[in-house]
Amino acid sequence: MHRRDFLQLATVASACAATPIDIPKYRVVSRFAPSPKPGMPGPFPGKAVRVHSEKSVDTATGSVDAPTVTEMLSRGMRSLTGAKNEQDAWANFFDASDVVGIKVNCSGAPKIFSARQVVGGIVDNLIARGIPARNIYIYERFPDQLTSVRYDRYLPAGINIFAAEASRGSSANYDPNTYVETNFFGEDDTRSNMIRLVTERFTKIINVPNMKDHAAAGVTGCLKNIAYGDFSNVARSHNREKTNTLSFIATLAMVEPLRSRTVLQIMDGLRGVWHGGPFSEDPKFRFYPKTIVFGTDPVAIDRLLLDVIETKRKAEGALSIWDRSIENVKPGRLDPHFGSFIREPGHIEYASRLGLGVYDLQQIAVTNIEV
Amino acid sequence: MTLFLAALLPALATGPADADAVKLPVPKVEYRINEASASRSPWIDANGWQLLRAPAHHYYYDVPAASVALAAAEAFMYGAKVDIHTESAGAAIFDRMLQFLREIPERGELPTLANIGVIDDGSAETGELMNLLTRRNLLYRIVAAPDLHLDLNIRLGSQQYPKSEAADPSKLAQKIRAELTDEKRLLRVYGSEVVITRLVGGGGQVRIHLLNYANRPVTGLRVRVLGNYPSWHVAAYDKPDLKLADFTASDGATEFTMPEMSTYAVIDLSKSSSH
Repeated sequence: MHRRDFLQLATVASACAATPIDIPKYRVVSRFAPSPKPGMPGPFPGKAVRVHSEKSVDTATGSVDAPTVTEMLSRGMRSLTGAKNEQDAWANFFDASDVVGIKVNCSGAPKIFSARQVVGGIVDNLIARGIPARNIYIYERFPDQLTSVRYDRYLPAGINIFAAEASRGSSANYDPNTYVETNFFGEDDTRSNMIRLVTERFTKIINVPNMKDHAAAGVTGCLKNIAYGDFSNVARSHNREKTNTLSFIATLAMVEPLRSRTVLQIMDGLRGVWHGGPFSEDPKFRFYPKTIVFGTDPVAIDRLLLDVIETKRKAEGALSIWDRSIENVKPGRLDPHFGSFIREPGHIEYASRLGLGVYDLQQIAVTNIEV
Repeated sequence: MTLFLAALLPALATGPADADAVKLPVPKVEYRINEASASRSPWIDANGWQLLRAPAHHYYYDVPAASVALAAAEAFMYGAKVDIHTESAGAAIFDRMLQFLREIPERGELPTLANIGVIDDGSAETGELMNLLTRRNLLYRIVAAPDLHLDLNIRLGSQQYPKSEAADPSKLAQKIRAELTDEKRLLRVYGSEVVITRLVGGGGQVRIHLLNYANRPVTGLRVRVLGNYPSWHVAAYDKPDLKLADFTASDGATEFTMPEMSTYAVIDLSKSSSH
């Protein structure tokens, strides 16, 4: 075992000590040393900036107002960094030499996804920093979901739009030397490999999740999007009512170089899903927080997301995301009084124990901005 | 139309199947997405266990053209004497596979490499256990008595492996895997659940057979073999220019990636750089 592998195992084990359930044994293999200042939780631990605008989305049509989003991005980035202008705000994270991956979320596409206007606004700011279009990548794992959004119609020419799995299950675009190995349920393939672009091309990553319920993880926000969205063979963590998202999400997010290179979190909460996530087949489970959240600490932002989803579910009379009753697990039923798995919203607190951010609400400084 | 697969290499033949020949099921993958099962893995109809159990038998397949290449490669991989019956459209496919099999470098009779010895009592239960071990790439060979050179020896009906456990062969295969441990496995594949392997070798060289039971290519398959083998040669059906990628041989294991494979590939690894 390499020394690096050992160190990561030891870290996982210490987080398990306080968790009263079985945690799978993970073996982390990576040749990358962690940065002295990893991107997660980054320079602003325990800080989140929420920018809300009532005019950001037309709830009747679902259409997003681009100028309003541009203003929300500007205000949010300036508030997060304390910079006087947009240029300085983005300069906190990026320079012209960077190769930037924008990890979008398209698992609910074509109904819900990282909004084109949000992604487009981010790209505009990166180009303004002097980063050539050829060094900017919009990426996801599955091409059918990604192509359904048609980001290409809304972005400048030359931006790369990349899906890791040209055909579902293909491992060709994953790094064979950077992976987490574990055996959850006796599956034959015990490795989950990191997307090769992350290890070989990107210098920085911007994470752009949505605000969604998740049948297995409880919610899917920053942590779930960056973890399950950058590794192969992750669906194996769920089987029947049991899911290993509690520990697997943070374990993946900790793997270098993903942890060090993910420097900015911009949660697109213009639209959300309060039940049935990460998909959005039934429009009655969609809602409109009309909010974008900014930060570098994925745990702090996801801690706020827990309350957003739980509050909405409570208002709708849905099962709590914290419910662990096996009798309330009814796979395949899109009924908000039941779940498909025993949800694991505790994955966010678990991530805080690994050092990925601040979970305690009392320690999270939230700035609210109205546009 | 009958295609004759004999003496390891196939030949075209005509006429009905021999009366003494044993019919083999069509090799294939069945994706049972909506069916509850003990495993989420696709179901593979593979004949390796039968061919290993009775290697001297004369077998035959009756397969559609789309399955001819897989059937011929399966028979070759296990060194079985097999006739292939198919429709006329299968003849050209058979010829192409035959040409490929002829071009695989001859290495002579290399012994089967395995972690597990199975003491075969000829029962259906032991047959199904061998089938499960084959499908999960838990490498075994049939032994008359426990072989102490192997990591594990299994006799169904023994105290350690009672017959009652054979009622759930999938669970029994998992038990065997856990007892063996993945660390000791001579060969692992990552990135596909539909590729079945066979490992033979000796004298500083090993030959890996990779057989893809799906009707579409597998890309990015990662293979791990215990032992440092710095030299390689690959022969891949329909991919004459294929090269192994991300090859490493260190710390007691050799790993490489098959960028793409269609039905069948044979990889020779050697400890000698002159191989």
